Amino acid sequence: MDRRKFLRQLGLLASASTMSMTMGSVPLRAFGKSIYKADELNGKVLVLIQLSGGNDGLNTVIPFEDSLYYNARPNIAINKSDVIKLNPLTGLHPSMEPFKQFYDEGKLAIVQNVGYPSHNRSHFRSTDIWLSGSDSDEYLSDGWVGRYLGNSLTNDPNYNLDHPMAISLGSTQDSLLSCTCQSGSLGISFEDPNQFFQLINGSSADTDPPPNTIAGNQLKYVKEIAARSIKYAEIIKEKADTIDNQTNYPNTDLADQLSIIAQLVAGGLETPVYLTSIGGFDTHSNQLGRHASLLDNVSQSLSAFQRDLELLGVADRVVTMTFSEFGRTVEQNGSGGTDHGAAAPLFVLGKNVNGGIWGGNPDLTDLDGSGDNKFKYDFRQVYATMLRDQLGAGPDDMENILFKDFDTLPLVSVKHITSGGPRAFELNQNYPNPFNPRTKISYTLRLPQVISLKVFDSTGRLVKTLFSGHKDAGTFTETFGGNEYPSGIYYCHLVSGSYRKTIKMTLLK
Amino acid sequence: MSSVNILKKITAWDRISASHLLSRALFGHSSEDLDFALSLTIDEYVDNYLLADLTEEPQSPGFWVNDSESYNNSVRSRELVYWWHNLMLTQSHSLREKMVLFWHNHFVSELSVVQLPQRMYHQNRLFRQFAFGNFKELTKQVTVDPAMLIYLDNTKNRKEDPNENYARELMELFTLGIGNYSEADIAEAAKALTGWQVDGLQSYLDPERFDDSTKTFMNQTGNFDHLDIIEIIFTKPEVASFVCRKLYKEFIYFEPDESVVEQFATIFRDNDYELKPVLSALFKSDYFYSQEIVGAKIKSPIEFIIPLLKNFNIAKPTYEDLRRIADDLGQTLFSPPNVAGWEGDKSWVNTNTLPARNTFSDRLISSNDSELNILEFARTFESSEDAVQFVNDVAEKFLSYSLSENRKQYLLDILLDGAEVYDWSTYNENSEARLTSFFKSICRLSEYQLT
Repeated sequence: MDRRKFLRQLGLLASASTMSMTMGSVPLRAFGKSIYKADELNGKVLVLIQLSGGNDGLNTVIPFEDSLYYNARPNIAINKSDVIKLNPLTGLHPSMEPFKQFYDEGKLAIVQNVGYPSHNRSHFRSTDIWLSGSDSDEYLSDGWVGRYLGNSLTNDPNYNLDHPMAISLGSTQDSLLSCTCQSGSLGISFEDPNQFFQLINGSSADTDPPPNTIAGNQLKYVKEIAARSIKYAEIIKEKADTIDNQTNYPNTDLADQLSIIAQLVAGGLETPVYLTSIGGFDTHSNQLGRHASLLDNVSQSLSAFQRDLELLGVADRVVTMTFSEFGRTVEQNGSGGTDHGAAAPLFVLGKNVNGGIWGGNPDLTDLDGSGDNKFKYDFRQVYATMLRDQLGAGPDDMENILFKDFDTLPLVSVKHITSGGPRAFELNQNYPNPFNPRTKISYTLRLPQVISLKVFDSTGRLVKTLFSGHKDAGTFTETFGGNEYPSGIYYCHLVSGSYRKTIKMTLLK
Repeated sequence: MSSVNILKKITAWDRISASHLLSRALFGHSSEDLDFALSLTIDEYVDNYLLADLTEEPQSPGFWVNDSESYNNSVRSRELVYWWHNLMLTQSHSLREKMVLFWHNHFVSELSVVQLPQRMYHQNRLFRQFAFGNFKELTKQVTVDPAMLIYLDNTKNRKEDPNENYARELMELFTLGIGNYSEADIAEAAKALTGWQVDGLQSYLDPERFDDSTKTFMNQTGNFDHLDIIEIIFTKPEVASFVCRKLYKEFIYFEPDESVVEQFATIFRDNDYELKPVLSALFKSDYFYSQEIVGAKIKSPIEFIIPLLKNFNIAKPTYEDLRRIADDLGQTLFSPPNVAGWEGDKSWVNTNTLPARNTFSDRLISSNDSELNILEFARTFESSEDAVQFVNDVAEKFLSYSLSENRKQYLLDILLDGAEVYDWSTYNENSEARLTSFFKSICRLSEYQLT
């Protein structure tokens, strides 16, 4: 695309040097990691990678002992000898060597046969279903992530509004992030933090309220985009400039996008959701070479990203997940390719991921009416898992986001999280207060975590431990009885890791 | 809006309505264009100009369009984009190029798959030939168009090994819309579509590869070929609704009023899929000019770039710049993102592309090597020496969405930059800098993104 040359023509890169002069002639990157303190942040991050076009699941996670697989694909099956074996029945495409390492390290989960009932074979409809989190006969105009942001995060008094709620890298597709609970989308998109900052230079926000007409609402949308660009450009540049990537990324768009995400996460941007995408998976013809190079790109880029996160000390916080609108036909077509299919595997990668293969190989003796793989896991079970165990959504949030109760999968390890950080828990004032002799103390955990709830008297002496240990996310109530204690002021501490919240209670006899 | 009768014609053919029509039907217009349209009745303008059959075909981008060899593809591809941008910039009072783009975004092919820019050129010619012709005939010809045959894998669709890609999109995206056919219909249609091959720039039917058997498609049985399949598809009423819904989204507003769509669809069916009667009714309808509709369309990158040049009377832009900015803004001609085409509306504007639009208009206005002289340009307005009137007149010329008094005051403040209204003259020292920031500001307005 030769974007840099174009920007130079626009005079944008010239003004970039002007800007570093305003920083006292010190290039921003020279600040390096001196202002970087990873332990200040505990916020969880979900990175979504959309494989557009319908990834061929059977040639990605390969049932290499199944003769039905080889019968259905005489020309395009992956030879058993080339498959990277994970266990006696299942292996990976030969381009995915880095994923084997993650698998061995217990950081890669493969969820088999993910889909939904009555799988739709249209790219567009099925993509809408995946992005919106709807049933196959249900039409939603917003995205599941947008509903999370709009319902949960906007109601979180602790969310730092100076940071964008979601970032979509290099993509104009942000229906995933849109929410009908707010106007438009709650995310922002850009390709490169520095360029983004330069583009914004000279813009000013326009706060004139448009009238409530069709055209007025269109205008309102454009104005909001303008305001959002201006608001976030600076902090994004600042956070990206703080960090140097610690690994070498391949030279692909996907890798570029992931390297920026690593910088932003490690730099302290508190954005919880990132979206990137890579296209070209619609392999109707001559798929062997094309698919190999796509999977090579995905696995090399993700490998550089994951190692980078580990070296930057933020791998604890990040989970990366792939998805694609459908798998492909079990049978090859006559053009050396495969057509639109149904259920397929997806990948979840991260330091806190419970590695392994969830579910067995596709049962090629039991296919759907069109001869394609049946789903075993609803894609929304995976979403529910990410929402609850990675992003810390509570039961009420889930109801507003996915509309139904989906069983979660143990994909993300939550047991060793000692704290989700100051925003992951809330302690409410006891009721009644003053009390005699009993009072109720309620608290909310947005993430499963190890906590203690203890009552102290005014001299700091421990009076009673109400709870200590691991608890799932949710809202809980404990009762404190004051029969054995004298009137006076008592303090109740809810402790999670190194964070503590306290209420003052009055026992009045 | 459900009681709309689209046959009710517009009564007030004035500057506001004419400006709305030209903004939506052309890629920008000059003040002279507007005066010309108003010198005619709306019927004369729509039927004799916008929808007039143009017999002459534009000159091709070069001799190479008939070279069936692959050679210098990247240069030729760029020349092809320059060529079409130029046609859009230089076309006069015809809807033709707007409809060519409409078909490009309907019967989508991507250069990166089709490989030879020559093939994209010939497909583009086909769209121009049928710009507002007969949709059924266009569908028949597109089906065996070499670029399309390659793009949707139909050259790989043969008797022994059917490939369903084109069959599916023919119904889902080109004619019926999703939900109006079965998976079995796709499989049967694919059989009828077998056998087509491309040799260089020509397509032909190879009888050896054609599935010469009985097919059952949409409850009809016979040894169908592609023409039969299309005839059967076009017996379904959903075709007219599907295409009229798209026309509505293109010319009226992104969220169609289904009762209005159905009225256009009736005209379309009654006229055996001729487009002119539909478009003529649309552009003359009172509904098209209702206040709700004016200024309610978010400009596509092309609708932003080309009219911006026309706003400033720039006739000789650097075409490579245009190609690059269109690419940055997400609309590279001949390279739509996928078979569904550009999504349009809000998807055009995000936190990445909106600032890029702003910097492009900034650069165009202050560039030293452009033919634009901002002082001379300002003086083409009769009111150039009257600051308040000048702001009004420029806003009226540049914007479809009428500005609030607040916004006009904001622009006036930028123009005056601290001076008093009565002191304003384009002959003052520094007026050039003030005019430059004034014009930059008006093109940076969110309102400028609407048409």
